[in-house]
Amino acid sequence: MAEPISLFQWLCRRIEGTGLKPSIRKSFPREPMGISLSFDNLSFTYRGAEKPAIERIRGDIKEGAFVVIMGHGGAGKSSLCCTANGLIPRFFRGDYRGRVLTQGIEAAGAGVGVSDLSRIVGLVMQDFEVQLFSSNVELEMAFGPENLGLSRERIGELLDRYLPFVGLGGMNRRDTATLSGGQKQRLAIGAVLTMETPVLILDEPTTDLDPRGRSDILSLAADLKDSRRTLVMADNDAETAADASRIWLMRQGVLIAQGPPEQLLADPGLLQSCGVKPPPTVTLFESLGWPGRPLTPEEAISEIRNRNLISPRRDGKSAPPPRAASRGGPAILETQDLCFRYPGSSVNALDHIDLAIREGEFVALIGQNGSGKTTLAKHFNGLLKPTSGRLFVDGKPASSFTRHQLARQVGYVFQNPDHQIFAPTVREEVGFGLKVLGEPSKVIERNVEEALAATGLAGYGERSPFLLSRGERQRVAVASVLAIKPPVIVLDEPTTGLDDRHQQDSLEMLRNLNRQGHTIIIITHAMAVAEAFASRTIVMKEGRLLANGPTRDVFSEEALLAKAALIPSPLARLSNRLGLAALTLPEMVEELKA
Amino acid sequence: MNLSLYRDEGTWLHRLDPRTKIVGALVIFAWCLCFNHPAPQVMIMASLVLIAFLSRSQGTFWTLRHLLVLLILFSSALWPFFVRGQNALWAWRSLQISRESLLFGIAMGLRLASFVMAGLLLLATTRNEEITGGLIRLGLPYPVAFALATALRLVPTFAGAGAAIVQAQVSRGLDLETKNLVARIGKFIPLAVPMFITAIRYTNFLAMALESRGFRPDRPRSFFYEPRMARLDWLVLVILFCLFGLFLYLRLGMGMGVIMPGRL
Repeated sequence: MAEPISLFQWLCRRIEGTGLKPSIRKSFPREPMGISLSFDNLSFTYRGAEKPAIERIRGDIKEGAFVVIMGHGGAGKSSLCCTANGLIPRFFRGDYRGRVLTQGIEAAGAGVGVSDLSRIVGLVMQDFEVQLFSSNVELEMAFGPENLGLSRERIGELLDRYLPFVGLGGMNRRDTATLSGGQKQRLAIGAVLTMETPVLILDEPTTDLDPRGRSDILSLAADLKDSRRTLVMADNDAETAADASRIWLMRQGVLIAQGPPEQLLADPGLLQSCGVKPPPTVTLFESLGWPGRPLTPEEAISEIRNRNLISPRRDGKSAPPPRAASRGGPAILETQDLCFRYPGSSVNALDHIDLAIREGEFVALIGQNGSGKTTLAKHFNGLLKPTSGRLFVDGKPASSFTRHQLARQVGYVFQNPDHQIFAPTVREEVGFGLKVLGEPSKVIERNVEEALAATGLAGYGERSPFLLSRGERQRVAVASVLAIKPPVIVLDEPTTGLDDRHQQDSLEMLRNLNRQGHTIIIITHAMAVAEAFASRTIVMKEGRLLANGPTRDVFSEEALLAKAALIPSPLARLSNRLGLAALTLPEMVEELKA
Repeated sequence: MNLSLYRDEGTWLHRLDPRTKIVGALVIFAWCLCFNHPAPQVMIMASLVLIAFLSRSQGTFWTLRHLLVLLILFSSALWPFFVRGQNALWAWRSLQISRESLLFGIAMGLRLASFVMAGLLLLATTRNEEITGGLIRLGLPYPVAFALATALRLVPTFAGAGAAIVQAQVSRGLDLETKNLVARIGKFIPLAVPMFITAIRYTNFLAMALESRGFRPDRPRSFFYEPRMARLDWLVLVILFCLFGLFLYLRLGMGMGVIMPGRL
């Protein structure tokens, strides 16, 4: 994103009161035409950028519609969202052409400010953390209605209605800083819902949610439809898009297609050209040469039954045959009766964890937001020390290692790459760890080159890490841990914010590292990632281990996963129903052809 | 992780109107200025500690104990060199320390610490939004009140980001435990750069988020936590002001609580 104006400039401008004339300010009439958003040949180029972020966008969104915008990273989804309430061009400067009509009002028109449009358009930006600024949950939800000048009683009613709606009922007075990532994301949405705007725009609203939280947010769509509100969502998940009334498909700033989901989602070639993963059921039917293009596992099952495509061998209940057994070297990480309690808390964040992770394993750590995944992982490299119980690294008690020695044993890639990037060049950034560990420059040079190559960043050495895209910055963060060559690498949500193509690239990279002997542990909300890559899956719930076993076995236990608010991916669900062993598309095609 | 000073306890002090607490803190500042003898300053501080226990905010004092102790120590150590008293204890050329200047230094240290403690009591028992509301009701323009409250709000946010940055860099082998000062300063760059970037990014996005939710400083708005003066508020204010009057009389009328005449 280009640089927005500074807070100071903004305050100055606000205080000078260069806003609206009082007469226009009051309220806007609703447009009777039934069109919520109308894009008229809209183009925008960020200041300093060479290519336009969005180019000649034309299209109408009807009142009460549910539109999902899909496209690769950098396709212009977020930019398009920001034009609807005037953040572009009010905050992001650049070359703006064409126009957007929001309920008939020109969003970039003279005298219309972002705060005026906020009565019509509720926008939840992708980075939800920065959108929360109140000291507790109810004040956060009340902030919008306060700005609308609503009475205390009316605000109270809105809170009673929308707090349970976003799954935060009874948490009125919780400090927002103590919420988990998923709760924060829901709060950011709830804080916009209380403004009861006729148009709601959510920019990637489910990136940090567990599957249940995801489906909760998606059920909002249905409820909003009933209230004739318009919902626009930027999201690349085909399962979400299947419920939309229309899909807008973007590639490199251009709106290349729009249409109903049955039409667009059934065209894997088109989706892939936009960096969007097609519904796996569609790809499966296509690869097998079967007729029909079902969008969901349920549709797929009925399609298979109706057309008698295969005779179901077992009907889902019995356990499928095991996949390749998990590799079992000596335990490299082992916990014994490990408990952890945050200072000042009265409950154990980790409750009697007994766990062994063996050398060469690829482990996925899954569970609901706040179930203790990150807390557990932070013990592995000594960032947190157990309150009671013991942790062994490579057979020796973790307490016998210094911080330096642990950093060499267990690398940890944090979720947000911006918390660690500081150096002027990618090379220095990636070599930083080795340098502070006191390695000679020859070793640094060699390891950095290898790490850059492994992460697909060869040739990036002299570039500034700050100017890279989010996906590239994430890979810089991975490379900087990789360069140290720790036997164990822990990655917290390595796929958040990456589109399908980059997700596949970084996961392939992890798989290669795993083959070279590194033990990989990923914390993830993306079930498809765990299913396709992990040899073992550990499910956590409320600080305890709910399940711990080979990935195929864990994902066949749908009832158990549901206890942890988890739902297997569509493909795994289909595989379970059909009684197959496969968890990935190629495996499934092979198994069904056999 | 909770890094804000506020503690949601719901005691009588929490329930007071924010205006009462803001004015109250100012009156306590004024108390501290009445005397320059350590004995009354100790009493003022003791009453602040008592109030902290009554409002269950002693934890906030404890968190910042190092700051409070440092304030007292620095002041007690430096002031004696800058004022002159009657009974010299030690002298060297033009430098002199006397019994009076020593006591005066201690009193000044206690006074500074009491200032901070009164402010902490306000912050530990009053939400940001309540402070904003209270300041507006006291007649401050909304943008100024909001900017003040936002600045207070950003402290814990940035502290949280700082903690995440330290963890990320320590995980890459950054050693923050060395004793060598020069080496330590060099190690702040990997912490400072991401911190600045995070802070700039955060404030920019904050402005966008505020406007996206309808915020305009020049437009009337309502408050969900509407401040209300109750009987207890008036009682507290009357007590605070009466004590202030009494202290003024003791100092000016009777000349009590003075170790250095002619000084504040």
